[in-house]
Order: sequence, then C-alpha cells, then structure tokens
Amino acid sequence: MSSGAEVLYVLIAIAGLCVATWFVTPKGDNQTVWRSSIILTLVMCYLMWALTYLSQLHPLIQPTRSDLRPEFAEGYSEYYGME
Amino acid sequence: MGKEAFFRSAEMSLVQLYIATEVGREVVAALGELGSLQFRDLNADVNSFQRTFVKEIRRLDNVERQLRFFNAQIEKASIKVKAVPGYADVTAAPHSNEIDQLALRTDELEERVNQLMESHERLTKKQVELTELRHVLIEAGAFFDRAHNVPEELRASLDNDDAPLLNNDVEQGDMSAATSFSVMNIGFVAGVIPREKMQTFERILWRSLRGNLFLNTTEIADPIKDSKTNEAVEKNVFVVFAHGAGILSKIRKIAESLDADLYAVDEDANIRRDQVREVNSSIADVEEVVSTTETTLMTELEAIAEQIASWMVVVKKEKAVYAALNLFNYDQSRKSLIAEGWVPTDDIPVIKTTLADVTERAGLQVPSIVNELSTTKTPPTYYRVNKFTESFQNIIDAYGVSQYREVNPGLPAIITFPFMFAIMFGDLGHGAIMFLAGLAMVIYEKKLLQINRDEIFDMAFTGRYIILLMGAFSMYTGLIYNDIFSKSMTIFPVGWEWPYTWNEGDLITANSTGTYAFGIDPTWHGADNNLIFNNSYKMKLSIVMGFVHMLYSLFFSLVNARFYNSKIDIIGNFIPGFLFLVSIFGYLSFIIVFKWAYDWIGNEKVAPGLLNTLIDMFLSPGNVTDLLYDGQPTVQVALVLLAVFCVPWMLLLKPLYLRWDNNRKTRSGYENLSQQEVTRLSFDEEAESSTPVVMEEMHEEHEFEFGDVMIHQVIHTIEFCLNCVSHTASYLRLWALSLAHAQLSTVLWSMTLERAFKMEGGLGVIMSFILFAAWFALTIAVLVVMEGTSAMLHSLRLHWVEAMSKHFIGDGIAFTPFSFKAVLEEPAQ
Repeated sequence: MSSGAEVLYVLIAIAGLCVATWFVTPKGDNQTVWRSSIILTLVMCYLMWALTYLSQLHPLIQPTRSDLRPEFAEGYSEYYGME
Repeated sequence: MGKEAFFRSAEMSLVQLYIATEVGREVVAALGELGSLQFRDLNADVNSFQRTFVKEIRRLDNVERQLRFFNAQIEKASIKVKAVPGYADVTAAPHSNEIDQLALRTDELEERVNQLMESHERLTKKQVELTELRHVLIEAGAFFDRAHNVPEELRASLDNDDAPLLNNDVEQGDMSAATSFSVMNIGFVAGVIPREKMQTFERILWRSLRGNLFLNTTEIADPIKDSKTNEAVEKNVFVVFAHGAGILSKIRKIAESLDADLYAVDEDANIRRDQVREVNSSIADVEEVVSTTETTLMTELEAIAEQIASWMVVVKKEKAVYAALNLFNYDQSRKSLIAEGWVPTDDIPVIKTTLADVTERAGLQVPSIVNELSTTKTPPTYYRVNKFTESFQNIIDAYGVSQYREVNPGLPAIITFPFMFAIMFGDLGHGAIMFLAGLAMVIYEKKLLQINRDEIFDMAFTGRYIILLMGAFSMYTGLIYNDIFSKSMTIFPVGWEWPYTWNEGDLITANSTGTYAFGIDPTWHGADNNLIFNNSYKMKLSIVMGFVHMLYSLFFSLVNARFYNSKIDIIGNFIPGFLFLVSIFGYLSFIIVFKWAYDWIGNEKVAPGLLNTLIDMFLSPGNVTDLLYDGQPTVQVALVLLAVFCVPWMLLLKPLYLRWDNNRKTRSGYENLSQQEVTRLSFDEEAESSTPVVMEEMHEEHEFEFGDVMIHQVIHTIEFCLNCVSHTASYLRLWALSLAHAQLSTVLWSMTLERAFKMEGGLGVIMSFILFAAWFALTIAVLVVMEGTSAMLHSLRLHWVEAMSKHFIGDGIAFTPFSFKAVLEEPAQ
C-alpha cells in the first residue's frame, strides 16, 4: 500500500521544475508569456494527476462486475505472473 | 523590461508633435504606416463640416464613389478584379500630384463609362422596339391575311353580339374577299403587351367597350429583353378592332396604361412587306452598333479592373490621412501643425526617427518636434500581442477592456482556458483529433492566410492556437481519465485484482493491491459501479480545481492593489475576501483531499459524508457526529466565526477609512487645492501675441461622496460573498460536462461499432466498414465539434464570470492607433 507520499515527492519535483523554468526561459519580449504558460501548465497538470492519484489511494468502494467470463481469470493471472 | 507588454498593458505617453505644414501630409502618412500613434481630437468643438481639410475629403469621397461605381459596373460585367499585389508597391505615401492625376483620371473615366452606358442603353431600347415592331408586323400581318377572308363575319360579330359566328360561315364566305376594313369603318390598334397583363387588358377592354371589339393576340415565342430593367419579359402581340375614332383612342389609352407599346401597322400587305424588310435591315444595323459599344465598354472596364484595387487603397489611405489632419491644430505664427496623441512610451524613438526622416527627405530646414507631455488623463490600454497571444487576448477583450496597467487576465488564460476546457473534454482520442486540426492550421498558416476563408472557418483559424492547446490538454486529461474514444488503456500495473475463479454470471468484486500510477485505474472501466466512482471523483475534482482557479484569480487583485499602491484595497478587500474564501471553500477542498488521503478501512473508522459535514458546519458548527480528524469541532467553529467576521470587515473598513482620510485632508486644508482647477497652458513664447496654443482642463478628480462609496462597497461585499458560494457551485459544470462527454462517447461506441463487432461472417465485415464510417463521422460532428463548442463556451464563462470577477476592473479604453492597416481592413460600406 502506498502512503501517498508520492504526491509530495512529485510536488517537490514540480516545484523544482517551476523554479528552473523561471530561470531557463529565454529573455526577450515573450519571457513573461513563456514563464506564466509553462509554470501554469506544470501546476495544473500536477494538480490533475495528484487529485486523481489521491482519490484512488484509499478507495472506499471496490469495482464490481458481473459480465466477466471465467476464462478472463486465466489470461489475467498469466499476464501478471500470478498463480 | 523592454518591449514586453502582456502582463500589463504598455506604458503610454501623451506626445505633442510640431510638424511643418509643408510635410504634414507626408508625416501623417508615414505615421499611418507605422501605426503606433493614436491622435487626439484637438478640434472637438469644431463640427466636422468646418474643419480644415473638408474640401480634400469631399474630393476623395467623390473619387471613392467613382471607384465604387466602376466596381459595380465591373461586377455586373463579371470581369475579374486584379487583387492588390500584397500592399507592397502601394504602401509608399502617394504624392499629392498622383492623387490629383488619379482624381482627373477617374473623372474622365466616369464620363466615358457613363457615355458608353447611355448609348448602350439607348441602342438596346431601339433594338427592342424594332424587334417588337417586327413581331407586330409579322403577327398582325398574318392575322390580316386571315381576316380579309372573313370581314363580314367580323362585322356581324361586331354588329350583333348574339349572332352565332359559325352559322354565317358558309353564306358569307365568298363575298368577303377583297373588302377593306376602312370600307366597313373599322379601325384597329396593334401593339405588344407583357403576357401577364394580357388578361387584365382583355377584361378592361371588354367591360369599357361593352364588348364592341374584336381582339386578336398571338404569343411571341422568345421573351423580349426590357431595356429599363434588363430583364427578359414574355410578351404578346395584340390587334384590337373596333369602330369609331373615340373608341380607338380609348383603346390606345387603356393599352398604354398597361405598359403596352403601340406600333403603326399598315393594312396594305405590300406596304407591310416593305416595312418588314426595312425593320429587318435596321435591326441588323443596330445589333452591330450595340455589339461594338459593348466591346468598347468591356475593354474600358477591363482596363479599370487592372488597377482599381490599388487606386482604392491609395484613396482610402489618402482619406485617412486627411481625416487625421483634421484632428490637428494649426499654429498660425509658426506655420506648423500641432498634433497630440497617445503612443506607447517605448515607441517614442521610432516616432522621432520617422519624423526626422520625412522632414529630411522633403529637404526642410524646420525640424519636426516630438514633445512628451505630462498629464492626468487616463491613457488607453494597449497590449503588445503576437499571433499566439492575440487570440487569447481577444477572449478577454470580448468581455471588457482592462484598466490601464492592470493585470491582464489574458496571460493566465493562455493555459487556464484550454485546461478548463480539457477537464470537460477529457478524451485522448477526441483531444488528438482536435490537436491535429489545430496543428494543421498552425503549420499551413501562411497558405491559409492567403485563401478566402468563410465566416466559420475564419473563426476557427483565428483561434488555431487555442484549438491546438485545447487539443493538447484534452489529450492529457484523456490520459488521466483513461479514456480513448470511450475505451481504456492499461499502461501501468493495475491496482485491482479480480478473484482467481468464478462462475459465469457471478457478481465479483476486485481487491485493492495498490494505486494506479497515472490516472484512473482501467479496472474501473466497464465495472458495474464505474459511474458511482467517477461521479464522486469528478465532482470533487471540479470543486478543488474551481477553488484553486478562483484563489489564483483572487491573488491578481492583490497584485493590482500593490501596483496601484492602494493599501486600503489590500486590507479592506483582499484580506477579508481571501479569508472568507479560504475558510469555507478552502476548508471544503481540504477535507476532500484529507478524506482521500486518510486510510479509513485500514484504521477501521467510518468515513463521514462530506456534504453533511459542510452543511452541519453552518447549522451546528460545534457538533460533529462522525469525526474526520481530532479537534474538528474547534477548527470548524473558528473558521465559521472567521468567515462571519470577514463580512463586516469587508463591508465597513474601506468606506470608513476613505471617509476618515477625506476628513483629515479637508481639515488640513488640502481640499481647496484639489478643488482648484488645474489648467495646463502651453504658451507660444516666441510670438508676441502669446496665444495659448493648447489649453485644456486637466481637472478630473471627483468629490468624495461617502454615500456612493458605501453603496459601492455594500454591493461589492454582497456580491463577493454570494459569488463565492454560487461560483464554487458553478465549477460543478466541469463535473457535469466531463461525465456527459464520457457517457456520450460510450453510447456512440455501443450503438455503432460495437454492434458491428458482434456480427459474424461477411455481414460483420461489411457492417464494420459501414458502421465505422458512421461512428467516425458522428465522433467528429457530435463529440468533437458540438461537444467541443459547448465545453469551450462553458470554459469561456468560467473565465469571464467565475475567475475575472475576482480581480478584473476592466474600465479601460482600448488603444486604437492611426494605422493604414486598420483602415484598409475595414469592410467597405
């Protein structure tokens, strides 16, 4: 079971990337546009991923289905190397 | 910061230009090419008919009218107009000589074209008349030939209405041979009448003459061209017989009132034959002349068509120049023109060099001077956009023009707009289609710029970068939602494990083995309770995203307040607003994330419902049934109290402070100063008369009215607090639309392709071919175009209403520089 700390690690990585973006963006007429756009992209993509990840971290409901054929189990356990 | 101006609008300066009168035209033309100066009207009190260059503008208007007249004629003759070759060779400011020549030339041409057209019209009319006459001669002649055989019958029918026509046939047949109509005192009227009026004509004649007539008509096979309306009209030849001169003239009047053309026809067959011959030869003559005139006119128009587009450009530019010159002041003593206008401060050097260049080229000793003025007037808002940022700025400008130098919401919108769209449109496949469409438009940008784009395509083309980013982010959110054309992908190890054995039809439950690394676990796809999971996930996601978006926008109000140096806006508006938003919706977002992150099953606790938690927080803050965390009641009470306290804080602090500040100023006697009219006078020092050249009232401050301020603040407070609630709810559209999109694409799949895959044999092959076409066409039309448009409108609304209301002041005036490019792009009236 993951503890959710991954969200924080990635957060630190993203923050690092944002800082790097601030300094790396080429100087010139469009620097602000570059900075704002890249950092916003990073942050929004991170938020989207992190919220999705968190929502599945400690699930309260489990997927159920009744349309799976028993044969599915064989291929499925082979594929994941389970017994 | 150089020339960058997108986060805030460019700094503007009010400049005054002194231009020697001789080069006024050239300087303005050069500035028009440059397009970065917005002239102010220095003659606002002079009406447009009394301005200096009215005469020139009138003349150019006339030339423009002539050109439009040529254009209309060219269009009528369906000659192709040669397009202006770029704007390259016509951009040079035309010499005033050239304009004079052009005006003369167009005058001449107009006269000539008019003459040609007039004679053409006259000739066609003649031609029509002759054609009609020929028809009358032939048809009426044929009738006479027939009628001469039966004049008695005719007379009988005229004398006695009751006489049966056919009965007398045999008796009277032989004695009628050579009897002339004149002998019987019967006259006739012959002519041509439009076919649709024939029946009316007949009826009127019958009624007004009480049946004392004999009417004969024949249809003319070919329609005849009407010289007035240039339309082909179907016509009939008619011959009316009646006796008595009075009756005949009555018939003539009736016929003429019904647009009939009357022609004289002789009774004698020999004369008629001569007439026909004569008419035939004149028709041939007229036809030849008409065709020569037509060719001449065509050649003339073709020659004009070669050049008309560039003439139009020259005239439009020239007119714009004089219109600008009309805004200038004229300094009598110094023989120079004075102009005032707004210019981006960075562009002043360019303006200066342009002015110097023009003056030098003209070889003038008097230099043109650029003066910067200090002013309290509000400068116009001007963003330096490029082809990428332009479309995003258009989104914002469609809502309102930002205040001078306030934070431009267009900058974050570059990302947040397509991203909010993508949250609603998340599907890797649909996103890819949109991305490719955007990419194609970006790659073939130059080619597409040149072709004629219809209205809808032009809209898409203008927003090509928006479409590109919307597509790209939709692909990302599609990956997160694990949706590609409603199917899922298993890229990472799944976090759920099905039981190892079960019987067909059993309801089986998967066990958690971990967390899927990126996006939604594919196991959820097709699960019976997929919708329950997705509902909860997407609803919470949109609340948190909405809160973050609003908070981010709210911070721009802090940036604005700091920039305008208004501490009271920070303390009286931003801080209470921030606390209010955070203490309710920030807390909501926090408990959402907390509930996700906490291992309820592992810790053997009951997970409390968030909706009830939030409702109870307001109904009974200190009383929590299912605890999320220890100390929750205390925290919630504190937050509710904080939020409640923020309301009077926001309501009262700013107006009371402003009143106190105003009173303090009044007491210390500053009021008189600010009430004084501050007038700027710029004197002409050299001239002895020392007439004020520019005199303007700079008094723009308003008196302090506590009532106004208070009402404004009450509205702001109520609006802010209520909006925090309604706007958060409004972000739920992200949830609704993304669910709808996913469901719709699932339905489309199962209605089309999935059915084909269930068929067997040859039918399956054919049906998968056909149903794929249906599925793909509907995917593009419904899921990408229609759903995409709707998601885009929702994203637009989220920006205009939910985000921009948190900081946007938007009472700016747009910068509209004097630029030929803009003048030429204006649609022709």
